[in-house]
Amino acid sequence: MAIVALETLESLVGQPFPGGTFTVEPYQNWLTNDVVLAPQRDDDLAHPMYCYYAALAGMGISLDELFALAHATADDGVMFGEAEIELVAPMRVGVTYTVRGTFTSVVRKEGKKAGVFDIVAFALELVDPTGAVAGISTNSFVFPRRNE
Amino acid sequence: MTTSGSGVAIGDDLPQLVIESVDAEKMKTMAALLRDPNPIHLDPAVVDALGMGTKVVNQGPNNMAYVVNMLTAWAGGPGRLTKLRVRFLANVFAGDRLVAGGTVTGIDGDRVTCDVWLARNGTEPVLAGTAVVHRD
Repeated sequence: MAIVALETLESLVGQPFPGGTFTVEPYQNWLTNDVVLAPQRDDDLAHPMYCYYAALAGMGISLDELFALAHATADDGVMFGEAEIELVAPMRVGVTYTVRGTFTSVVRKEGKKAGVFDIVAFALELVDPTGAVAGISTNSFVFPRRNE
Repeated sequence: MTTSGSGVAIGDDLPQLVIESVDAEKMKTMAALLRDPNPIHLDPAVVDALGMGTKVVNQGPNNMAYVVNMLTAWAGGPGRLTKLRVRFLANVFAGDRLVAGGTVTGIDGDRVTCDVWLARNGTEPVLAGTAVVHRD
């Protein structure tokens, strides 16, 4: 992908996501535990990775749409940078979480091998039905750029 | 504090978790769960065409989840994990043998901070980060 004006990308910072809601259904939690080799449980505790899964599923745009906001597509070699989950309370099966968040930073770097790349970060909060923040998912994607 | 009430001490290694062979079929299930259309998780031909090898690529969050499993098995369940921050260092492919582990770096009451990692064949790092768990 071509190099995008940094000012254009920086205009993303502070931009809110449309947001939405996500409910961890019992079958989804069962399948997730099966996929990631976690033990199945008899209680309502969801796998902690639902702090990430629920946030991205409920942010209101697809990953393709997120990449487009950063002037890229999935075919451009977009990579995960960092991911953080902060669990204020355990994620629970059957609870509907409201997802809200914003883009938090854009950083441009240049490496000898990698060339120019942009790191776009965003933070998403999971709000439980009482209005309390139950979890925060903070992520960054790395967008390689090339000169044209 | 260098030792918790349960005898955990700074410098302790966490019990390792071994994934003997990453399963390509499970990647398909996760792709459906996440509505992740990226074919590198599904089709080895696409991976080959991209010059990335001949085996499908595991979803990054799956690799993060193995570290979560290692931490929660040690700490006493999914409700004990407070924070996990990771950097993704390399792709994981179908058939890879992975080991997740960590080291205690700080203790504040029942709040234990750890460095964590996931390594291919136990030596090649594919993920690294820090975590906080509550452990009695």
